[in-house]
Amino acid sequence: MAGRGKLIAVIGDEDTCTGFLLGGIGELNKNRKPNFLVVEKDTSIAEIEETFKSFLARSDIGIILINQFIAEMIRHAIDGHMQSIPAVLEIPSKEHPYDAAKDSILRRAKGMFCAEDFR
Amino acid sequence: MGVSELEDSSRLLDEKLLLFMDQLALLEEKRATLNSLIEQGWFSMSKARYSMGNKHVSALQYASEIEPLVSVHARTLDNGEVDFCTERVKQKCSNEAGKDARLIEDIGPQEEGVRRRIKPKKDITEKDAREEASSEKVPEVTPVRKGDQNPQQDPLKWFGILVPQSLKQAQSSFKQVIELSAEIATLQTAVLNTRQELKHSMKDKHILQEEASAAQLDKEAD
Repeated sequence: MAGRGKLIAVIGDEDTCTGFLLGGIGELNKNRKPNFLVVEKDTSIAEIEETFKSFLARSDIGIILINQFIAEMIRHAIDGHMQSIPAVLEIPSKEHPYDAAKDSILRRAKGMFCAEDFR
Repeated sequence: MGVSELEDSSRLLDEKLLLFMDQLALLEEKRATLNSLIEQGWFSMSKARYSMGNKHVSALQYASEIEPLVSVHARTLDNGEVDFCTERVKQKCSNEAGKDARLIEDIGPQEEGVRRRIKPKKDITEKDAREEASSEKVPEVTPVRKGDQNPQQDPLKWFGILVPQSLKQAQSSFKQVIELSAEIATLQTAVLNTRQELKHSMKDKHILQEEASAAQLDKEAD
Protein backbone atom coordinates (compact mmCIF):
# COMPACT_ATOMS: atom_id res chain seq x y z
CA MET A 1 0.00 0.00 0.00
CA ALA A 2 2.89 2.33 0.76
CA GLY A 3 4.15 1.96 -2.76
CA ARG A 4 0.79 2.53 -4.43
CA GLY A 5 0.64 5.96 -5.96
CA LYS A 6 -2.28 8.24 -6.51
CA LEU A 7 -4.02 9.04 -9.75
CA ILE A 8 -3.99 12.19 -11.83
CA ALA A 9 -7.52 13.25 -12.73
CA VAL A 10 -8.43 15.52 -15.63
CA ILE A 11 -11.49 17.62 -16.36
CA GLY A 12 -11.18 19.07 -19.82
CA ASP A 13 -12.34 19.29 -23.38
CA GLU A 14 -11.92 16.33 -25.70
CA ASP A 15 -8.48 17.27 -26.94
CA THR A 16 -7.18 17.84 -23.43
CA CYS A 17 -8.53 14.53 -22.15
CA THR A 18 -7.31 12.64 -25.22
CA GLY A 19 -3.85 14.08 -24.81
CA PHE A 20 -3.56 13.21 -21.14
CA LEU A 21 -5.04 9.77 -21.66
CA LEU A 22 -2.41 9.23 -24.35
CA GLY A 23 0.08 10.14 -21.67
CA GLY A 24 -1.22 7.25 -19.57
CA ILE A 25 -3.10 8.80 -16.67
CA GLY A 26 -6.53 7.32 -17.44
CA GLU A 27 -8.37 4.80 -15.33
CA LEU A 28 -11.63 3.23 -16.39
CA ASN A 29 -12.97 -0.07 -15.27
CA LYS A 30 -16.30 -1.60 -14.33
CA ASN A 31 -15.78 -1.21 -10.60
CA ARG A 32 -14.65 2.36 -10.30
CA LYS A 33 -15.65 5.61 -11.80
CA PRO A 34 -13.28 7.12 -14.35
CA ASN A 35 -10.71 9.67 -13.29
CA PHE A 36 -11.48 11.94 -16.22
CA LEU A 37 -14.41 13.93 -17.54
CA VAL A 38 -14.69 15.01 -21.16
CA VAL A 39 -16.52 18.33 -21.09
CA GLU A 40 -18.58 18.96 -24.18
CA LYS A 41 -20.86 21.79 -25.20
CA ASP A 42 -23.87 20.16 -23.60
CA THR A 43 -22.14 19.22 -20.32
CA SER A 44 -23.91 21.01 -17.49
CA ILE A 45 -22.13 23.07 -14.86
CA ALA A 46 -23.77 20.91 -12.21
CA GLU A 47 -22.18 17.81 -13.69
CA ILE A 48 -18.77 19.45 -13.82
CA GLU A 49 -19.05 20.61 -10.23
CA GLU A 50 -20.26 17.20 -9.08
CA THR A 51 -17.35 15.50 -10.82
CA PHE A 52 -14.87 17.97 -9.34
CA LYS A 53 -16.22 17.41 -5.85
CA SER A 54 -16.17 13.65 -6.33
CA PHE A 55 -12.50 13.87 -7.32
CA LEU A 56 -11.79 15.93 -4.21
CA ALA A 57 -13.53 13.35 -2.05
CA ARG A 58 -11.52 10.44 -3.46
CA SER A 59 -8.44 9.54 -1.47
CA ASP A 60 -6.69 8.03 -4.49
CA ILE A 61 -6.40 11.22 -6.55
CA GLY A 62 -3.29 13.34 -6.06
CA ILE A 63 -3.58 15.97 -8.77
CA ILE A 64 -6.58 17.37 -10.65
CA LEU A 65 -5.90 19.00 -14.00
CA ILE A 66 -8.66 21.28 -15.24
CA ASN A 67 -8.97 23.59 -18.23
CA GLN A 68 -9.06 27.15 -16.96
CA PHE A 69 -12.24 28.04 -18.86
CA ILE A 70 -13.97 25.10 -17.12
CA ALA A 71 -12.47 26.16 -13.80
CA GLU A 72 -14.09 29.58 -14.30
CA MET A 73 -17.50 27.87 -14.40
CA ILE A 74 -16.94 26.35 -10.96
CA ARG A 75 -14.63 29.01 -9.52
CA HIS A 76 -16.43 29.05 -6.19
CA ALA A 77 -15.79 25.32 -5.74
CA ILE A 78 -12.12 25.66 -6.65
CA ASP A 79 -11.59 28.68 -4.40
CA GLY A 80 -13.15 26.71 -1.57
CA HIS A 81 -10.57 23.94 -1.84
CA MET A 82 -7.86 24.79 0.68
CA GLN A 83 -6.14 21.42 1.12
CA SER A 84 -2.81 20.55 -0.42
CA ILE A 85 -3.96 17.16 -1.66
CA PRO A 86 -5.31 16.84 -4.25
CA ALA A 87 -3.48 19.70 -5.92
CA VAL A 88 -5.54 21.58 -8.51
CA LEU A 89 -3.74 22.78 -11.62
CA GLU A 90 -5.43 25.04 -14.12
CA ILE A 91 -4.30 24.48 -17.67
CA PRO A 92 -5.03 26.25 -20.94
CA SER A 93 -7.37 24.99 -23.58
CA LYS A 94 -7.17 25.43 -27.35
CA GLU A 95 -9.55 28.34 -27.41
CA HIS A 96 -8.74 29.88 -24.02
CA PRO A 97 -5.08 30.57 -23.24
CA TYR A 98 -3.89 30.46 -19.65
CA ASP A 99 -4.42 33.65 -17.67
CA ALA A 100 -2.41 33.87 -14.45
CA ALA A 101 -4.74 36.56 -13.11
CA LYS A 102 -7.58 34.03 -12.97
CA ASP A 103 -5.62 31.19 -11.35
CA SER A 104 -6.97 30.49 -7.84
CA ILE A 105 -3.61 29.56 -6.41
CA LEU A 106 -1.81 32.63 -7.73
CA ARG A 107 -4.60 34.92 -6.61
CA ARG A 108 -4.33 33.50 -3.11
CA ALA A 109 -0.57 33.89 -3.17
CA LYS A 110 -0.39 37.41 -4.59
CA GLY A 111 -3.63 39.15 -3.80
CA MET A 112 -3.27 39.75 -0.10
CA PHE A 113 -0.28 42.01 -0.03
CA CYS A 114 -0.76 45.66 0.80
CA ALA A 115 1.64 48.59 1.22
CA GLU A 116 1.84 48.11 4.97
CA ASP A 117 3.25 44.62 4.56
CA PHE A 118 6.46 46.03 3.15
CA ARG A 119 7.17 48.50 5.97
CA MET B 1 17.37 43.03 23.31
CA GLY B 2 14.06 44.22 21.83
CA VAL B 3 15.85 46.00 19.01
CA SER B 4 17.94 42.97 18.12
CA GLU B 5 14.83 40.78 18.10
CA LEU B 6 13.16 43.29 15.79
CA GLU B 7 16.19 43.25 13.50
CA ASP B 8 16.24 39.45 13.43
CA SER B 9 12.55 39.40 12.65
CA SER B 10 13.03 41.90 9.82
CA ARG B 11 15.90 39.88 8.42
CA LEU B 12 13.83 36.69 8.51
CA LEU B 13 10.98 38.50 6.81
CA ASP B 14 13.30 39.73 4.06
CA GLU B 15 14.62 36.21 3.48
CA LYS B 16 11.13 34.76 3.30
CA LEU B 17 10.03 37.49 0.92
CA LEU B 18 12.99 36.82 -1.38
CA LEU B 19 12.24 33.08 -1.25
CA PHE B 20 8.60 33.79 -2.08
CA MET B 21 9.58 35.93 -5.08
CA ASP B 22 12.01 33.28 -6.31
CA GLN B 23 9.34 30.59 -6.00
CA LEU B 24 6.84 32.71 -7.91
CA ALA B 25 9.37 33.36 -10.67
CA LEU B 26 10.16 29.64 -10.93
CA LEU B 27 6.46 28.80 -10.95
CA GLU B 28 5.87 31.25 -13.77
CA GLU B 29 8.75 29.76 -15.74
CA LYS B 30 7.51 26.19 -15.33
CA ARG B 31 3.99 27.27 -16.21
CA ALA B 32 5.21 28.79 -19.46
CA THR B 33 7.00 25.52 -20.30
CA LEU B 34 3.90 23.51 -19.40
CA ASN B 35 1.63 25.64 -21.56
CA SER B 36 4.07 25.44 -24.44
CA LEU B 37 4.30 21.64 -24.20
CA ILE B 38 0.51 21.30 -24.08
CA GLU B 39 0.17 23.44 -27.19
CA GLN B 40 2.83 21.33 -28.87
CA GLY B 41 0.85 18.22 -27.99
CA TRP B 42 -2.35 19.66 -29.46
CA PHE B 43 -0.56 20.65 -32.62
CA SER B 44 0.80 17.12 -33.05
CA MET B 45 -2.66 15.69 -32.38
CA SER B 46 -4.14 17.98 -35.02
CA LYS B 47 -1.55 16.74 -37.52
CA ALA B 48 -2.43 13.14 -36.64
CA ARG B 49 -6.11 13.94 -37.01
CA TYR B 50 -5.42 15.45 -40.44
CA SER B 51 -3.81 12.24 -41.66
CA MET B 52 -6.03 9.72 -39.89
CA GLY B 53 -9.39 11.45 -39.99
CA ASN B 54 -11.31 13.44 -37.40
CA LYS B 55 -13.09 10.57 -35.72
CA HIS B 56 -9.99 8.42 -35.51
CA VAL B 57 -8.38 10.70 -32.93
CA SER B 58 -11.24 11.36 -30.54
CA ALA B 59 -12.98 10.11 -27.43
CA LEU B 60 -14.61 7.41 -29.57
CA GLN B 61 -11.32 5.56 -29.61
CA TYR B 62 -10.89 5.31 -25.85
CA ALA B 63 -10.64 1.72 -24.60
CA SER B 64 -13.49 0.29 -22.55
CA GLU B 65 -11.07 -0.63 -19.80
CA ILE B 66 -8.08 1.47 -18.96
CA GLU B 67 -5.45 1.11 -16.30
CA PRO B 68 -3.24 4.04 -15.41
CA LEU B 69 0.35 3.85 -16.58
CA VAL B 70 1.51 6.73 -14.42
CA SER B 71 0.86 7.45 -10.77
CA VAL B 72 1.82 10.33 -8.51
CA HIS B 73 3.29 10.02 -5.03
CA ALA B 74 2.48 12.80 -2.58
CA ARG B 75 4.78 13.18 0.40
CA THR B 76 4.00 15.72 3.10
CA LEU B 77 7.14 17.37 4.47
CA ASP B 78 7.71 18.64 8.02
CA ASN B 79 7.15 22.25 7.07
CA GLY B 80 3.71 21.48 5.62
CA GLU B 81 4.76 21.48 1.98
CA VAL B 82 3.84 18.55 -0.23
CA ASP B 83 6.25 16.95 -2.65
CA PHE B 84 4.65 15.37 -5.72
CA CYS B 85 6.56 12.98 -7.97
CA THR B 86 5.38 10.82 -10.81
CA GLU B 87 6.12 7.18 -11.38
CA ARG B 88 5.56 5.45 -14.67
CA VAL B 89 4.56 1.78 -14.81
CA LYS B 90 6.74 -0.31 -17.08
CA GLN B 91 4.57 -1.92 -19.65
CA LYS B 92 4.88 -5.67 -20.18
CA CYS B 93 5.97 -5.65 -23.78
CA SER B 94 7.40 -9.16 -23.94
CA ASN B 95 4.29 -10.79 -22.47
CA GLU B 96 2.10 -8.97 -24.89
CA ALA B 97 4.22 -10.18 -27.76
CA GLY B 98 3.89 -13.70 -26.41
CA LYS B 99 0.13 -13.35 -26.16
CA ASP B 100 -0.05 -11.99 -29.65
CA ALA B 101 1.96 -14.93 -30.92
CA ARG B 102 -0.40 -17.33 -29.20
CA LEU B 103 -3.35 -15.47 -30.62
CA ILE B 104 -1.96 -15.84 -34.11
CA GLU B 105 -1.32 -19.52 -33.63
CA ASP B 106 -4.76 -20.19 -32.24
CA ILE B 107 -6.77 -18.58 -34.98
CA GLY B 108 -9.04 -21.11 -36.57
CA PRO B 109 -10.72 -24.22 -35.25
CA GLN B 110 -8.81 -26.08 -32.58
CA GLU B 111 -10.03 -29.43 -33.67
CA GLU B 112 -10.01 -30.70 -37.17
CA GLY B 113 -12.66 -32.96 -38.53
CA VAL B 114 -15.78 -33.90 -36.68
CA ARG B 115 -17.07 -31.71 -33.93
CA ARG B 116 -19.43 -32.87 -31.29
CA ARG B 117 -22.92 -31.61 -31.60
CA ILE B 118 -25.82 -32.10 -29.31
CA LYS B 119 -28.09 -33.94 -31.71
CA PRO B 120 -30.02 -37.23 -31.70
CA LYS B 121 -27.41 -39.87 -32.47
CA LYS B 122 -29.66 -42.37 -34.23
CA ASP B 123 -30.52 -40.29 -37.31
CA ILE B 124 -27.07 -39.09 -38.22
CA THR B 125 -24.35 -41.21 -39.63
CA GLU B 126 -20.71 -40.37 -39.26
CA LYS B 127 -20.42 -39.24 -42.88
CA ASP B 128 -23.30 -36.86 -42.51
CA ALA B 129 -21.73 -35.39 -39.42
CA ARG B 130 -18.47 -34.70 -41.25
CA GLU B 131 -20.26 -33.08 -44.15
CA GLU B 132 -22.17 -30.84 -41.83
CA ALA B 133 -19.03 -29.87 -40.00
CA SER B 134 -17.23 -28.90 -43.17
CA SER B 135 -20.05 -27.04 -44.86
CA GLU B 136 -21.57 -25.12 -41.96
CA LYS B 137 -20.05 -22.06 -40.47
CA VAL B 138 -19.86 -23.04 -36.90
CA PRO B 139 -20.80 -20.22 -34.59
CA GLU B 140 -19.51 -21.99 -31.50
CA VAL B 141 -16.00 -22.63 -32.69
CA THR B 142 -13.19 -21.48 -30.50
CA PRO B 143 -13.48 -19.35 -27.44
CA VAL B 144 -13.44 -15.83 -28.73
CA ARG B 145 -10.01 -14.28 -28.53
CA LYS B 146 -10.63 -11.04 -30.27
CA GLY B 147 -7.42 -9.36 -29.21
CA ASP B 148 -8.68 -9.00 -25.65
CA GLN B 149 -7.73 -5.51 -24.73
CA ASN B 150 -5.03 -5.43 -22.16
CA PRO B 151 -6.09 -2.55 -19.89
CA GLN B 152 -2.43 -1.67 -19.41
CA GLN B 153 -1.64 -1.42 -23.08
CA ASP B 154 -0.02 1.62 -24.61
CA PRO B 155 -2.87 4.10 -25.30
CA LEU B 156 -1.42 4.64 -28.78
CA LYS B 157 -2.85 1.25 -29.71
CA TRP B 158 -6.40 2.51 -29.25
CA PHE B 159 -5.91 4.50 -32.42
CA GLY B 160 -4.71 1.64 -34.57
CA ILE B 161 -1.71 -0.56 -35.10
CA LEU B 162 0.13 1.84 -37.36
CA VAL B 163 -0.19 5.36 -36.05
CA PRO B 164 1.47 8.38 -37.57
CA GLN B 165 4.59 9.80 -36.02
CA SER B 166 2.70 12.95 -35.07
CA LEU B 167 0.51 10.99 -32.67
CA LYS B 168 3.61 9.54 -31.01
CA GLN B 169 4.99 13.05 -30.72
CA ALA B 170 1.74 14.15 -29.10
CA GLN B 171 2.05 11.33 -26.60
CA SER B 172 5.64 12.29 -25.85
CA SER B 173 4.62 15.92 -25.26
CA PHE B 174 1.84 14.97 -22.88
CA LYS B 175 4.12 12.60 -20.98
CA GLN B 176 6.42 15.55 -20.34
CA VAL B 177 3.43 17.66 -19.34
CA ILE B 178 2.47 15.07 -16.75
CA GLU B 179 5.91 15.11 -15.16
CA LEU B 180 5.97 18.89 -15.17
CA SER B 181 2.51 18.98 -13.60
CA ALA B 182 3.86 17.20 -10.53
CA GLU B 183 6.68 19.74 -10.24
CA ILE B 184 4.23 22.62 -10.56
CA ALA B 185 1.92 21.08 -7.95
CA THR B 186 4.91 20.88 -5.57
CA LEU B 187 5.83 24.50 -6.28
CA GLN B 188 2.27 25.65 -5.72
CA THR B 189 2.14 24.14 -2.24
CA ALA B 190 5.57 25.66 -1.54
CA VAL B 191 4.38 29.11 -2.65
CA LEU B 192 1.27 28.94 -0.49
CA ASN B 193 3.29 27.66 2.45
CA THR B 194 5.82 30.48 2.15
CA ARG B 195 2.94 32.96 1.87
CA GLN B 196 1.54 31.67 5.18
CA GLU B 197 4.94 31.90 6.85
CA LEU B 198 5.31 35.47 5.60
CA LYS B 199 1.95 36.33 7.10
CA HIS B 200 2.93 34.90 10.50
CA SER B 201 6.34 36.56 10.43
CA MET B 202 4.64 39.86 9.62
CA LYS B 203 2.36 39.51 12.64
CA ASP B 204 5.33 38.68 14.88
CA LYS B 205 7.17 41.71 13.57
CA HIS B 206 4.23 44.01 14.27
CA ILE B 207 3.99 42.65 17.81
CA LEU B 208 7.71 43.26 18.35
CA GLN B 209 7.40 46.76 16.90
CA GLU B 210 4.59 47.59 19.29
CA GLU B 211 6.58 46.22 22.24
CA ALA B 212 9.63 48.19 21.15
CA SER B 213 7.67 51.44 20.80
CA ALA B 214 5.99 50.86 24.19
CA ALA B 215 9.41 50.30 25.78
CA GLN B 216 10.69 53.48 24.11
CA LEU B 217 7.77 55.48 25.51
CA ASP B 218 8.44 54.12 29.01
CA LYS B 219 12.09 55.17 28.80
CA GLU B 220 11.15 58.67 27.71
CA ALA B 221 8.60 58.94 30.49
CA ASP B 222 11.30 58.03 33.00
